[in-house]
Parts: sequence; C-alpha cells; structure tokens
Amino acid sequence: MGGTPERWDLEVDVVAVGSGLGSITAALVAHDRGQQVVVLEKAPRLGGLCGYGGGEVFCPNGPHMQDIGQADSDDAARQYFAFLGAGFNEPELTEKMVATYKEAIEYTEKEAGVAWEAVEGLDDYYYPDAPGSNTGRYLAVQLFDGATLGEWQQKTWPVSPHFPPAATHKEMYAWGGLANVTKWDYELLGQRIAADQRSFGPGMMGWFVKAAMVDRGIPAHVETPVRALVTDDDGRVVGVRAEKDGNDFFVRARKGVILGIGGYDHNKPMATMYEEVHDWNSATQPYLHGDHLLMGGEIGADIASVPPTNLAMFYGYNIPGEEHDGVPLWRSSWECGCPHAIWVNGQGERFCDESFYKDYQPRIREWNGKTQQQENLDVFLIFDGNYRERYPLGSFMPGMEIPEELAVKADTPRELAEKLGIDPTRLEATLERFNAGAAKGEDPDFDAGHFSWSNRLAGDPSYPNPNVGVVEKAPFYGVKLAPVGVGINSHGLRTNTSGQVMHVRGHAIPGLYAVGMSAAILDLGGGYQSGTSNMRAITWGYITGRHVSES
Amino acid sequence: MAEVEYSTTAKLPVETIWDFVCEIDNWAAYMTGYQSHEKENADDSVWVLKGDVGAMTRTLKFRVHVTEWAGPERVTFELEGLNEQMSGDGEFVMQSYEDESAEATAATTRKGWLQRAIEAVVRFFFRLFRGRVERAASADAGPGEGMARLRFRLEMRPGGPMGPMINAMIKPAMTVAAEDLANRIVGHLETERPGSA
Ligand SMILES: Cc1cc2nc3c(=O)[nH]c(=O)nc-3n(C[C@H](O)[C@H](O)[C@H](O)COP(=O)(O)OP(=O)(O)OC[C@H]3O[C@@H](n4cnc5c(N)ncnc54)[C@H](O)[C@@H]3O)c2cc1C
Repeated sequence: MGGTPERWDLEVDVVAVGSGLGSITAALVAHDRGQQVVVLEKAPRLGGLCGYGGGEVFCPNGPHMQDIGQADSDDAARQYFAFLGAGFNEPELTEKMVATYKEAIEYTEKEAGVAWEAVEGLDDYYYPDAPGSNTGRYLAVQLFDGATLGEWQQKTWPVSPHFPPAATHKEMYAWGGLANVTKWDYELLGQRIAADQRSFGPGMMGWFVKAAMVDRGIPAHVETPVRALVTDDDGRVVGVRAEKDGNDFFVRARKGVILGIGGYDHNKPMATMYEEVHDWNSATQPYLHGDHLLMGGEIGADIASVPPTNLAMFYGYNIPGEEHDGVPLWRSSWECGCPHAIWVNGQGERFCDESFYKDYQPRIREWNGKTQQQENLDVFLIFDGNYRERYPLGSFMPGMEIPEELAVKADTPRELAEKLGIDPTRLEATLERFNAGAAKGEDPDFDAGHFSWSNRLAGDPSYPNPNVGVVEKAPFYGVKLAPVGVGINSHGLRTNTSGQVMHVRGHAIPGLYAVGMSAAILDLGGGYQSGTSNMRAITWGYITGRHVSES
Repeated sequence: MAEVEYSTTAKLPVETIWDFVCEIDNWAAYMTGYQSHEKENADDSVWVLKGDVGAMTRTLKFRVHVTEWAGPERVTFELEGLNEQMSGDGEFVMQSYEDESAEATAATTRKGWLQRAIEAVVRFFFRLFRGRVERAASADAGPGEGMARLRFRLEMRPGGPMGPMINAMIKPAMTVAAEDLANRIVGHLETERPGSA
C-alpha cells in the first residue's frame, strides 16, 4: 500500500488477480478491447475454485433453453431473483446483473469458444413454489479436451474430488444420480480420464483457460500471490506488490487492478467470525484466505455483507487420511438426501429437511434465547443397514467396511446413541416417529423430499419419495458432522454497478475492481441458488473488463 | 487393472542389490508416500502409504505377502487392500547386465507425451509435499562390465464398481512410485559404494 516502487518488474494495462471465472472473464474481455493484461495466481494451478466445483451456471431464459424445449422469460427471471434477494439485496446491483448476465455468457460462447449446453430437468431450488421459478435454467460445459491446453494442461485441475470425473450432468442423471453411483458406467469414465477429458468445474475452467492463455496468449504467473495494492498520492490503485520465488514482484497496472481472489474459506478466524459458526472447515483448495479484505481494508475499501444463514454452507466430514494439496479434504455430506438416512442434533432429535440444505443451514444456527445455546450445532448423520446395502458413504461403497474413526456402528439405535453420546431414549423416539411417516414416503415434521431439486440431486428416483426411507434395519451407523464451507461467503468488498470497489467514505476507489466472491454478494442478497456464484463471476468479470478498458 | 514397470541400471553386483532388497526395512521408506510398515513374519507385512487418487491423496493400508524369494534374482509378492477394494502383485528382478542380450524392458520409452506430462506433474507434487530428493529418473547407463539391472513391476487391481475409473486415476502416481523406488534403491547403493556408478 502507498508509495510507488522505484522500479516496476512488469508494466501492463490491467492486472487480473486470481484465476477463477471472475478474473479470467475480465482478462478475456479487457484483452479483446486492446488492453495488455496479466493474470497473477497464488495457487500452483489456474482455474480457482471454479475449476474444482460443479461448473453449473444459472442462466434463466438463457441461450440454450430452447435446445431442450424449455420456455422462460426475463420477467420470470427478475421475479425469481427478487424472491432470492428477500429484501437483503441492493436493487441497482441486482438489476445490473440481471440485465447483463445473458450478454456476458453469450460473449464467452461466441468470442471465447466456451461450449455451453443446457442441463435438462434440473429445477431451480424453490421450483415450483417461488414466483418466477422454472426448470432447465442451468448451463454446464461439454466435455473439454485437456490436451488442448498445452503447457497449462499440467497447471490446471483435471478433476475435482467433489464430482465424478469426466461425467456430464446428463449422464449423471441418466445413470440414476448420486444415490446410484454404484451403477454408473465406470469403464467409460476410466477411458475418458486416461484421455484427460474434463467435465464439471475442471472442464469449464479448461475452456476458459484455453481461451485466455492458449488462444489469446494472455500471460499468467502461478505461485505468485498478490500481497498488497500499490496506490499513488491521490489514492488511485496503480499496481500490486506480489511475491514471486520469495521476492517482491511489483506489477504496474496503467488502467486498473481486478481482484477476483475468491473468499476466505481457509482463514478460519475470519470465517468463524463472519459466518457466525463455532467451527469451520472447507471443501475448497487451500488458497482462499480473504486477502481481498486485508488488501482492500488497508486502503479504505468498504466491506459489505448479506446474512450468512441464507447462503451455501454445508455439513460434512473428513475421511481420515484423505487430503488435497497438503490439507485435510472435507466433503459435504449428500448422504442425508438419500433414503434411510436422517440427521439428529445432540439431543437425538431431528430439526430440519435434511435433503434441502437451504432449510438445514439456518436451523443449525438457531439460537435458544432461554438456554443461551445453539441446540442444533452438533449434527449426527444416522443411517441403517438398508442404506448401507444401497448407497456409499463418501468413497466407501456398499460392502466395504467403514473405519470406526469415521462412522460409529451399533446393533441397535440405543447402543448407537450411547456410543455417540446422545440421549438413547430420545433417539429411539425420533426414529419411531420418523419411520411411521417414512414407511408411507412421508415426512410430516419437516417435509423432506418436498423440492424436486433435492429429489433429483441426492435422492433415489426408484423410491416414491426419493429422499425418504425408514431407518430401522441393523446395523445402525452414526457420523459426527462439522460445518463445511464451499467458498461462498457472506462478506466481501462493496462494489458499484461498474464493479469498482467502494471506499468507506462512499466514493469508488479509482483503479480497483472486485469480482466473483471477492465482491460482496449484494446483487443476490438474502438467498442462494446453485449456479449463481459462477454466473455472477462471469457477469461482473464481463462488466469490469469493459469498464477498465474504457477508463 | 493398472500395471507399471520400470527398470534402471547400476554398476553394482547383482548380489549387492539382492542383499539390500531382500530386507524390507532397508528400502521401505523409499516407497513414495511411505508412512509406516510392520512385519508380521518373514513373508507378510502390513504397509501404510499415502497415494494420489485423482485430485486427492488417500492413506492406503495393505498387506503384502511374498510369494517367492528367489535370490539373488527375484522377489515376487501379492498385495491386498485392507481399507480399499484393491488387490495386486509385483516383483523385483535383478539381473547382470553385461551386454545387450540381457532381457531388458524399460516401460518409460513407450510412453506417450501425455502420460509423461501427467507423471511430471505427479512427481512435482510428490516432491513439493514430501520434500524428497532422488536420483534422476532417467539414470540408465546401458550395458557394460560389472553392470546390473533392477526391474520393478507392480500391478494393481482396484475392485468394486468404480474399479475401472480408479484404475485410470492411480496409474500416473503408480508409475512415479515405481520409478522412484527403483532409482532410490540404486541411488542408495551407489552412494554406499562410492565410485561404483
Ligand atoms: C464442491 C463445490 C462445488 C461448487 N459448485 C458450484 C457450481 O456448480 N456453481 C456455482 O455457481 N458455484 C459453485 N461453487 C462455488 C463456486 O465455485 C465459487 O463460489 C466460485 O469459485 C467463486 O469464483 P471466483 O471467481 O470468486 O474465484 P475462485 O474460483 O474462488 O478463484 C479465486 C482464485 O484466486 C486465487 N487467490 C487467492 N488469493 C490470492 C492472492 N492473494 N493473489 C493471487 N491469487 C489469489 C485462488 O488461488 C483462486 O485460484 C462450488 C463450490 C464447491 C466447493
């Protein structure tokens, strides 16, 4: 911060920091508008969390809905985004995003060659209840050939541990969804992996990195974290101080710096404070530390937030011994969406629709003002022999022994409760009550299986209620769960409709932009819908790429 | 099934390599991702290794049973996963390599560029996180007087429905492990006997 260096190591028009969708889209657009751009990335590979996730992009009334015969309208989209915002959004930001996302996504298709296709039959989270909700609004990419990345093939993520490698959304559903992973075509997937065919987030970022680094030759430096913003005497951001091979690396940005460095999932003190939980783990790669809040804060940037309870945070577990990039790998638990599984709290009671994370998220944090406690914070996944015969737990397929460190096993619910340290009588009563409804495919208490999104994503389509089945057959299992973030955070830098970062005094900081998760999600406001994170990263990348070029 | 094979040469008597290889404790820590091993008897041991499976690292526990001690030329073994659905077998073969006629197969020469590229990344990450230094993987001096060849072959058969997929995911890491093990053993023996290389 402050004072320009005596010598710049590199001088360009635009510095794009981070290599997720936000930064890469901004880099593409700025390059196409004649700007000299460089990308600086902290991790040893390009693609960010976007290159590790599901790669779904929410795009109502989008370019490929007609391919699957699905009608939609911009009006319906606006209604749905207003429903999601629930009054916590900033209307001008929402409107700018809604008015631009289709144009931005079409740009990536027409100008950058990203091969999008519609995901048929996957509904909005709140479909059909919410105004303006619909089905078939997600985009995902066609399979990407890793070999076309040249030198970047080795410096991108070919697969993610969170998604079936090399399978498409269409195949995933045609093969019976996540509940039926034992029946998928693994011969085909094995052949595709050997040929480095990529799908989901790794496939999506393959297309973007190819467009930027290979087709356009935009230079990128990996293992080059940006440590501070450099400002001139007027407070304008004129460059960055990065770190390369252990030394300072000063890069001048004649037009602007774009921060697309994600959120703060791997900064535990920041995450527990901002997300209002006692514990925090993350499914993301270990490079997201909230540096944007630190670097922005140093030069007076304003930090804004939306309620954390309404966002995407999951509960999950770490299989002992599983790591990625040198840290424990945390998986979010989809098992609770399958039949024959429920969640209970420390008292042995159910408290939510386990198949719909938007329902369990706020209930986990429920505060009992009389007891001064968050009674649902301790969460246990309970499942039975029926479950184990049919579905996996993480990488443990039916028939495999699950290690004791991960899942406690017992012959009766009472014994299981005793082993887990929860009230045995209450657990027995909970199961009795749940099973009475589950035998009919019903859940009168929490209405599990209500949303078709849950049915499709985690449920077993062969059941009358894909998300509900009795928990009554020995042996019984219990897994203690913990909060698992997925890189979608409630706090970020406040930005305006051009993507510029705002100063605490209310003016835009010249030369500084934030995109993706680094920008507070005031455009979405009080709710989340999968695919919106990627969509807004592309959209604000597009907006800032144009704005910085014109500045 | 994922099968890898790697061979390397050294200016060492075959017996010297045999003496070293037939005592597991000598080289166990040279296995890539080695965590621990425990000998149950002369033929059986239980191993814990960290291995790369796609984007993640898993801790694998398996039992190795030696099926043949045919010194000073060959050790063959079988293995069985204890926490993974996995079985396999493999062998160490030591041969005098005085001239070209000695049987020699070095799988590395048949690899495509993609395979080599993926292995380079896997190796980079192994070194990054494990901080090991070893002999150059291409150390193959060819035949000559007093030369011997060490060949290591490993075949893994992941079981269960996902077997074919796991296969494709573990192969790059296995190739690296085979190369590194053979090179580390020879590297160790060469340093023990200065001037022999
Ligand atoms: C398992 C999983 C599945 C998901 N699926 C979806 C989905 O299907 N659809 C969807 O919309 N969202 C999904 N998400 C969420 C989504 O991936 C993220 O919100 C999204 O990646 C945010 O993108 P971004 O542009 O902010 O940057 P990111 O993709 O987070 O990239 C930021 C980059 O900045 C780098 N960086 C950090 N600090 C610095 C620094 N100081 N200097 C230089 N570089 C730095 C990081 O290494 C990283 O590469 C998923 C998340 C997870 C974990």
